[in-house]
Amino acid sequence: MRKKIIASIMAMTLCFSLAACGSNNVSADLSDSASLDEATTSESTESDSEGESEVAKIQEAGTLVVGITDFEPMDYKDDEGNWIGFDADMANAFAKSLGVEAQFVEIEWDNKALELESGSIDCVWNGMTLTDEVKSAMDCSNAYCNNAQVVIVPKDKADDYQTVESVKELNFAVEVGSAGASEAEANGLNYTEVNSQANALMEVAAGTSDAAIIDSLMAAAMVGEGTSYADLTYTVGLNSEEYGVGFRKGSDLVSALNDFFKASYDDGTMLKTAETYGVQAALIEQ
Amino acid sequence: MDIFMEQLPIVVHSLNVGFLQTLKLFFVTLIGALPLGLLICFGSKSKITPIRIILKLFIWIIRGTPLMIQLLIIYYFPGLVLHNPIWGGGEVGRFVASAVAFIINYACYFSEIFRGGIISIPVGQDEAGKVLGMTRSQIFFKIKLLQMIKRILPPMSNEILTLVKDTSLARIIALQEVIWAGQAFMKGSQGISGAIWPLFFTAIYYLICNGLLTLLLGGLEKKLEYFR
Repeated sequence: MRKKIIASIMAMTLCFSLAACGSNNVSADLSDSASLDEATTSESTESDSEGESEVAKIQEAGTLVVGITDFEPMDYKDDEGNWIGFDADMANAFAKSLGVEAQFVEIEWDNKALELESGSIDCVWNGMTLTDEVKSAMDCSNAYCNNAQVVIVPKDKADDYQTVESVKELNFAVEVGSAGASEAEANGLNYTEVNSQANALMEVAAGTSDAAIIDSLMAAAMVGEGTSYADLTYTVGLNSEEYGVGFRKGSDLVSALNDFFKASYDDGTMLKTAETYGVQAALIEQ
Repeated sequence: MDIFMEQLPIVVHSLNVGFLQTLKLFFVTLIGALPLGLLICFGSKSKITPIRIILKLFIWIIRGTPLMIQLLIIYYFPGLVLHNPIWGGGEVGRFVASAVAFIINYACYFSEIFRGGIISIPVGQDEAGKVLGMTRSQIFFKIKLLQMIKRILPPMSNEILTLVKDTSLARIIALQEVIWAGQAFMKGSQGISGAIWPLFFTAIYYLICNGLLTLLLGGLEKKLEYFR
C-alpha cells in the first residue's frame, strides 16, 4: 500500500513537470517576438538578485505595460482605437520621460494584483482608489486626483434619500472589493457585491437592488440626463477619496513617477492634460 | 429607439471583433485538442503501467478542476511562482495562454470519448485483423477508426457545442472575446455607456454559430450512415 502511495506521488510530480515542459515549448513555438523578448528579459532578471531596479528593467524591455480598463474619462479609446484619457495621456508622458513606450493592456479589474504580481503588467493606472486593500497589495504613487463615492438611486425616489440616515433601509449593490464596498460596510448598509460598478448600476436599473454606490467621476459620466441611465441620479456623497497608480512591491518606479508628477504639476502640463478631460477640479497638488 | 439605431452599428462592429476572437479560440482548441486527445487516449490504454497511471492521474486532475481555475493557473503561475511571465501581458500572450488551457482541458474530455469509441468495437474485428496478418496500426487505421468516428460523433457534437460557449470563460484572464466586448458597453466604451442590451445580444452570436455547427455535424452524421 505504502509503495503504491509513493509511486502515485512520484507519478504526480512527474506529471506536473511534464506539464511545465509542455507549456514552455508551446510558448516558444507560438508566441510572437515581443513575448519572446519579454521571456528573455525576465529570465535575465531572474538570475539577478531580487530588488533589481524596475526602471532599468523596463528601459531594457523598451515598454511600460500599463494595466487599464475601459473607463472614461481616465482611460478610453478614441475613434482610431488609440487609448486616450487623463490617465492614458499621463502614462504616455511618463513612459516617454523614461525613454520607453507605453503599452496599454485591458485587464480584468478583479485580478489587478495578480496581473501585477505575475509580471504580465508593470503598473495599474486606471483611476484606482487608494483603499487599504490596494495599498496592502501594491506600492502606490502619491495621490493625484480626488474622488468621492456617491449613492445612486432612481430619479423618482431621489427626494427621499438625501441623507446617509435615510438610505440605511435600502438594499445596495456595490462592486466587489471597491471603495464603494468599504463605504457600505463602514456605514452599516445592507449590500450585495457584484462584479463591477457597471453591474451595480444595472442592478438599480433592473430594480433588483434599490441603490448602488459608485465613483463620482463615473457617476457624472454615466448617470442622469443624456446618458443611458437617464432614470437614475446620485444623491449622498459618502466619503472623499484619492486616486493613485499601483506598482509591484519594492519597485523604484514609484519614486520615478512621484518625481514625474511633481515636475509635470510644476510646469503646468498635468493641469493642461486634466483640463482636456474635464477633471481639473479633482486634481491634487503634487 | 433612435438611440438604439445609433448604437447598433457600433455595438455590432465591436461584437464582431470579439466574436472573431471567440471563433479563433474555438478553432485553435479544436485543431489542437483532437490529435492531443487521441494521443492521451492511446496513452491511457497503454500496456506500460507508469504511462497509464500518469495519464489517468492527469485526466483526473484536468477533469476534476474547473476550467476557470486552470486558465488562472496557466496564465498567472509562470509569473507568480517561477518569476518568469512567459505569456507577456499583451493580447497575443493572453490568447496563447487561453488556447493552451483549452486544448489541455478539451483533449482530456475528447480522450475519454475516443476511448469509449475504441472499446465499443467488438474484439472479433481485432482478432479477424490479426488472422489476416495485419499490424496493430493497420487494424486501428483501416478497420476501427472510421467505425469509431461514426460512433463518437454524437458525444463529440455535444462537446464541440459546449466548447463554443466555454470560450467565454477566457475573459477571466482578460481575453477580449464576445462577452467581454458586450460587457464593455455597460461600463462605457466608444461613447456608449451603461448600455445593457449588448451583453444579452451576444447570445444571438452563440445561437447562430451553434445552429450552423449543429447542421454541419448533423450532415456529417448522415454521411456516415451508409454503413452501420
